[in-house]
Amino acid sequence: MSAFTDSIRLGAAQLTARRMYVIAMVLVPLLTTAFFLSLMHSGLPLRTPVGIVDKDISPSSRSVTRMLNAEEVLDIRYHYDSFEEAMASVRRGESFGFFLIPENFERDAVAGKNPSLSLFTNMSFFVPGTLSFKGFKTGAVLTSGGLAQTKLTAIGLTDRATQALLQPVVVDSHPIGNPWLNYNYYLTNSFMPALLQLMILLVTIYSITVEIKHGTSVRWIQTAGGSVTRALAGKLLPQLAVWLLTGMAMLAMMFGFGHFPLNCSIWLIAGAMALMIVASQALGVFIACALPNPRLALSVAALTGILTFSVAAFSYPVPSMYGAIGIFSYILPVRYYFLIYGAQALNGLPVYYSRFYFAALTAFPFVCGCLAWRLKRACLKPVYVP
Amino acid sequence: MNPIKSISTGFSDICRVFRTEMNAIVHDVGALLFFVVLPLFYPIVYTLIYNPEVVDNLPVAVVDNCRSAESRRLVRMIGATPELEIYDYVPDMQEARRLWAEQKVVGVVEIPADYSRRIALGEQAHVQFFCDMTLLLRYRAALNALTSVQLAAGAEITQHRIDATGLLGGGVSASPVGVDTSFLGDTQQGFASFIIPGIVILILQQSMVLGICLLRGTEEERRRRGIPAADSSMSSFATVFGRALTYVFFYFPATIYTLHFVPVWFHLPHQGEALQWILFILPFLSASAMFGMMLSYCLRRREDCFIYIVFTSVVFLFLSGLTWPRFAMPSFWYALADCIPATWGVEGFVRINSNAGTLYEQSGPYMWLWALTGVYFVASMILQKIRKKTA
Repeated sequence: MSAFTDSIRLGAAQLTARRMYVIAMVLVPLLTTAFFLSLMHSGLPLRTPVGIVDKDISPSSRSVTRMLNAEEVLDIRYHYDSFEEAMASVRRGESFGFFLIPENFERDAVAGKNPSLSLFTNMSFFVPGTLSFKGFKTGAVLTSGGLAQTKLTAIGLTDRATQALLQPVVVDSHPIGNPWLNYNYYLTNSFMPALLQLMILLVTIYSITVEIKHGTSVRWIQTAGGSVTRALAGKLLPQLAVWLLTGMAMLAMMFGFGHFPLNCSIWLIAGAMALMIVASQALGVFIACALPNPRLALSVAALTGILTFSVAAFSYPVPSMYGAIGIFSYILPVRYYFLIYGAQALNGLPVYYSRFYFAALTAFPFVCGCLAWRLKRACLKPVYVP
Repeated sequence: MNPIKSISTGFSDICRVFRTEMNAIVHDVGALLFFVVLPLFYPIVYTLIYNPEVVDNLPVAVVDNCRSAESRRLVRMIGATPELEIYDYVPDMQEARRLWAEQKVVGVVEIPADYSRRIALGEQAHVQFFCDMTLLLRYRAALNALTSVQLAAGAEITQHRIDATGLLGGGVSASPVGVDTSFLGDTQQGFASFIIPGIVILILQQSMVLGICLLRGTEEERRRRGIPAADSSMSSFATVFGRALTYVFFYFPATIYTLHFVPVWFHLPHQGEALQWILFILPFLSASAMFGMMLSYCLRRREDCFIYIVFTSVVFLFLSGLTWPRFAMPSFWYALADCIPATWGVEGFVRINSNAGTLYEQSGPYMWLWALTGVYFVASMILQKIRKKTA
């Protein structure tokens, strides 16, 4: 028992020896979470700056402009005289799109000549491009409907009848769990656990391989009575305590102060977070065992950690990826956390549907521990290659 | 001192720093990993992840309470869209919910019992669509598909009514105005086409910063063990300038590869003229080199760059405005983003590369990048002086 307490003491002493541990384990995750919460505070980027090319200059075209400007996603900031001027403005990055009303628009529409409204959106910037497209499209459909309605009313149809005639089928969308289409809820809930996983991988690997670098690894193993498992436990349990506090603080920031939707018990998501933290530590140990050299192991961890943000499919779904790439998402602890978050916190499903994800997270320490013998060998004969 | 002589000494000092630094890079496997392997392979890996571009054939379940010719016609139209695919007909919402919970479907279409009756009576029929919101990209695709189905089905029914009643004789159409949509830049609305041109800029900056921090961390470790840096006798100006020159020189081939060949191989948007973006990228590389050097003076160990620099990629990605547009940022973060070379690099390069902009049109980002180069150069020189004094 005393070898175990000594190991724990050694592990805790390592954490307090350098400022870096506090910065990496507490400040970086919490400050980045605060950054995300503050950056995307508004939830949805409203009032995209766009422009209009009004070649008609008629009462109808002015009413179209007013209607577009009344849409919450659009801000008609520029009035251009020509198409070329509008395109140049998009290229300069002032506006994200523009709406073109052709010459004689009102006259042709009233005469039944079917004029066309044109809308241009810059999809090089996806979110403002999509939102301005949505705003423009709604505006165009409403304009068309409004003109038809005027005519139909004029020939004696009631308002209700004209509406049914113009739009006989309406699809009502129900975005489950995030009816506000809030990007903050969506991105912070996935990116912040992934950032935590990245920092856990780096710190775990650093704290283990630095022993080899400084040649203290022999003493580290000997303190634990020659058992690499005990040595790892002694090093990682104090770290786990700090990670748990950080993880819970992140959840508190999101679900408490940020009022993110939470459709399950907070204990469930806290449990998933705890399992994700342990699984990430295990993955870190695995990398350190496979490559017991600080630079190589940290490089691999950095590459894995950064690719996680893409491969774990927070924005682009796994079924749409190439199979050979999508399969990598399953070696990442945060992928399972994300699936649990989606099923539990967002969709409020019974825990039954997340049973495999919980099982996978639990399995990480057991699978990753099987390489510990390599670490022991490397620790007892430390060779530092810079 | 003779001004000509001092210029020539300065020049030869810079050349010596250049040679020393080049030597240091080539003999450091870690630095080579960041300077060569990362810019060569990361863009390919990223593009492969996003290369299928669009989300299609999303499975949806149908609860058809109407079971009429009209409702079946609507479902066929939904199934015919590229984005959606009918997974199955289910008897009730309970069953549909089960399929959704098991992740067999991402959405549920519910057609009310009075769907065909309402259409026959000339009333408005409402169809419900429930969508999983774990990924916004899927919702966007599903919504696009359903909007087009709604318009197409509506036009069909309206036309039918007009024909059947003869009510509207001539001259009146249900849609008196047409709509033409043009997507600029990323014309196919593909995900890789949108994100890769911005991501590669970020990769260039971050790999350079990481490499510089690794080199300086190593130098710091050696210095504390009593081994002085090879160019410690040089002036701060020569040291900082010569090193920055090395990095920009070293990065130039990788930049051409990343910014030209990757988009060409993967058929991503690549509209800009070569001269325009090459001229634009020069201040970007200089600003990144100076930025990296300034940061490197804050780190003291070889491994520190992993702990302190790697995570900033995520922060810089969001500050760059690629995912969250800059106009919607709170002013503090907006100002911070102004100080990051990648912000201006992404903005200018994407507009030249994807929107066929010219260098002149990107004069704002271009000037900003030179300004950042200047500011970070001065800052690095001051930090270098301080370091030399403490040494």
